[in-house]
Amino acid sequence: MKKIEAVIQPFKLEDVKNALKAIGVDGMTIIEVRGHGRQKGHKEVYRGQEYQVDLLPKVKLELIVASARVDEIVQTLSNAARTGKIGDGKIFVYTVEEAIRIRNDERGEAAL
Amino acid sequence: MTSAGKQLSNEFLDGWRARFLETGDAQSVWKARTAYVDTAVLEAHAAALLPAFQEDFALLAVGGYGRRELFPHSDIDLLLLTRSPLVHSSSKAAISEFVRRLWDEGMRCSQSVRTLDECVALHDGNLELTISLLDERLLTGDLALHTQLQERFGRFINAERKEIVRLLCKATRSRHAKFHQTIYRLEPDVKEAPGGLRDVHTARWLPRLRDGEVPATLDPHPAAHVSSVRTFLHFRSGRDQNLLDFESQDALAATPFSPWRDPAEWMRAWYRNAHSIWLDIQSELETSEKLERSMLANFRDWRSRLSNSEFTVSRDMVFLRNPAELEVDAELPLRLFQFVARHGVAPARQTEQRISAHLARWARNYATHPPQARWWRELLCLPSVSLAMRSMRACGFLGAILPEWERVEHLVIRDFYHHYTVDEHTIVALESLEELADAKSGPTLRFVPLLEESRDELWMLRLALLFHDLGKGTGGNHEIESVRLAKEFLHRSGFGEVESATILFLIQRHLDLSTLLQSRNLSDPATARYSAELTSTEERLRLLTLMTLADINAVNPSALTPWRLEQLWRLYRVTQSELNRELSTNLEPEAPPVSREENPVLAEFLDGLPKRYLFTHSLEQAAAQAKLYTLALEQSAALHIEKRDGFYHLSVVAQDRPFLFASVAGGLSSFNLNILKAEAFHNRHGYIADTFVFSDPGKNLELNPPELERLRAMLRRVILGEVRVEQLLQGRPAKSAPSRSSKVEPQVTLDSTTSEAATLFEVVAQDRPGLLYSLASAISRSDCNIEVVLVNTEAHRAIDVFHVTQGGRKLDDAHALQVRDALLAAAEG
Repeated sequence: MKKIEAVIQPFKLEDVKNALKAIGVDGMTIIEVRGHGRQKGHKEVYRGQEYQVDLLPKVKLELIVASARVDEIVQTLSNAARTGKIGDGKIFVYTVEEAIRIRNDERGEAAL
Repeated sequence: MTSAGKQLSNEFLDGWRARFLETGDAQSVWKARTAYVDTAVLEAHAAALLPAFQEDFALLAVGGYGRRELFPHSDIDLLLLTRSPLVHSSSKAAISEFVRRLWDEGMRCSQSVRTLDECVALHDGNLELTISLLDERLLTGDLALHTQLQERFGRFINAERKEIVRLLCKATRSRHAKFHQTIYRLEPDVKEAPGGLRDVHTARWLPRLRDGEVPATLDPHPAAHVSSVRTFLHFRSGRDQNLLDFESQDALAATPFSPWRDPAEWMRAWYRNAHSIWLDIQSELETSEKLERSMLANFRDWRSRLSNSEFTVSRDMVFLRNPAELEVDAELPLRLFQFVARHGVAPARQTEQRISAHLARWARNYATHPPQARWWRELLCLPSVSLAMRSMRACGFLGAILPEWERVEHLVIRDFYHHYTVDEHTIVALESLEELADAKSGPTLRFVPLLEESRDELWMLRLALLFHDLGKGTGGNHEIESVRLAKEFLHRSGFGEVESATILFLIQRHLDLSTLLQSRNLSDPATARYSAELTSTEERLRLLTLMTLADINAVNPSALTPWRLEQLWRLYRVTQSELNRELSTNLEPEAPPVSREENPVLAEFLDGLPKRYLFTHSLEQAAAQAKLYTLALEQSAALHIEKRDGFYHLSVVAQDRPFLFASVAGGLSSFNLNILKAEAFHNRHGYIADTFVFSDPGKNLELNPPELERLRAMLRRVILGEVRVEQLLQGRPAKSAPSRSSKVEPQVTLDSTTSEAATLFEVVAQDRPGLLYSLASAISRSDCNIEVVLVNTEAHRAIDVFHVTQGGRKLDDAHALQVRDALLAAAEG
């Protein structure tokens, strides 16, 4: 099993969800996050007041999937989230040791 | 024994449940369960406690069990009363055995062991015991000990009455605060939430503690209703579960005893009852807090100086000085609610009751003579308007003057995010704006300037918020229905064309920024163009941004995350920048609002003016300026001054020439007039259309009517260049410097990227007489042309944006820096 974490542009969330749904991936956790990568932050002046703008709003998706499907899902996710411009985001893939469904104690991929 | 006991208990529960579902009568369940539990407790006592406690011991039922109000799965509150503290381990073992036996019978027991002394001690942590003892009932044990408790507890209550009442009021207020003081949650907790069972009981305890008796006036129906709901929830979940969630609402509506099959109708009935309980508890709290003498009471006494000939402020509540006036003066409540909104002091429950009692009379009166635009505008400009709205809703007055309001009263629209009914959401949204005005830190702080800059238009935003969801519950896009209702209201109340257009715009578009945040790339210039197209002017953008913020914040307490605020701010900034760009960028010509055939002069006048002009002027106002344009074509310049809404409005149309804008600003300053707003635009034919809004702090124009004519003549000479403004300004008294704490450090921001055609300078500075003249002169002295000016003043802060060109183009970098320095020097004075 693998965990896929993707940090994407907020306006791409609907596209990504629809693309994943189209290949049969429904379950995911979505988190509103703020951060910056190479874009860095900057100071902004509004009406004479200075504001630090260093954390840009992004959306983070977390999915746990069967190892066999990782490549297909990552590709779909990447295609749907891409605009080709700086700030499109990143995808990380981790290995998951175990998954447990609390309700009935099912284990492994059956619990996904 | 264990499983047999539980099985027996379950069988009884099933029987009670079946009977309850037929009738919905909670009292029969209480009666049956109390009798059943009494038997079980006495049996357990005989088996476990009696051998260890022969004397100086009594077993008491307290709280709900003491009142014989046992819900199917509520705890069994027991007090084990002893004369002296327990020291023997055998006593403790006996109590453990007693409790174990009850648990084995399927009864969740909540027991406490107390001595007589402990029962009559008072402190914050002991309040629960004191209150539970109000409903004590002897089950078995030492009769003399129990009598002694009753005597000592009676004396204790008499002696500590005020303090107990104070603690109970404090605990109740704090519980209400936990639920944000509202009964209108979509999924309420029927026990703890405002308008729930805890309030039913508190409304009985407070008069008992205060006066020694329960008033007979309390309506028993709301209490019976909420008890019935809690009984149902317990039976449905099989435990002490008190949350009336959506699934439970569906199930309740389907029960044989429910008079309503539609869950939404069912919930409306719930809110009506909760409202009645809420009014009772508020009334009891108000009466009880009269006893209180404290710092808070002193503050309240201080507030009493707000009293006037019609309203008395006492204990931080508003009373009618002469209630009989209500019989003859239909305007009195209108003034009352303005008083409430002005001073932030709520009407007493008694005052609201008086208003409610006269509703029928007013409803007829207001149907034929509804409050007019002026009243609404005055009300909505006041700082505590949400408090007034809350009170107007509580006593039914809002529905009487605004019948459309009744469509959303107690209206439940189920979705995953909303926590409140539609009416409550609306009032919370109004409250959000007031909270924003008080923000001192946190992620909303950067939106505060928007609020300050929108001060003059804030009443329109509040009116739009009042209407934004009125169309809900009719199916389809609610904003369309809300706009329809608002249109009718604005028309019948006599609102003006331009302000109505803004209010309707806000209602119609109140979801658009939220949608943009989720669906569009905020870094894409196309998003900014789209959003600028949507909002048209910076004023509308500010209002819509604030409306979006208030609307999201009123969805639920955690909906307005820093993440969303950041997104909203980014959208605001890119749109604001785009609107600025468009002001001095030659865009593709759009279809003009008036054709040359239809009105050739107006069409020529409008030719080349930015879109902003059309959105900030009605066609009537544009036509009036076009008349000035006709005059200006003959005489080089024409002007018009009128007084509206307490301020003077000057329109100037003239052939452009250097220093023109600066001269007019200087001319006004030479008369000691205070420029609050100004706008300057060019049309394609070399004419300027400038407007100035100014105040007359010395009332010179008002007290000396000939002065207005002298001002007109002077301005005309200034515009035509027949008089030098420097001469006029000589000898004018200098204004005293502002205090250090309120001083605004001047800042000039240079922006060469926003507009393709002009360089932008934004000046933020301490406002002072002649500031605009100094700034505009500094630009003109640098051989630059002022293409567009937007001037706004908020309190002592002036915000002036100039779009500047030289030779029809943007300034080069070196020149732009020189102009910036010149502006800074001018702003520093």
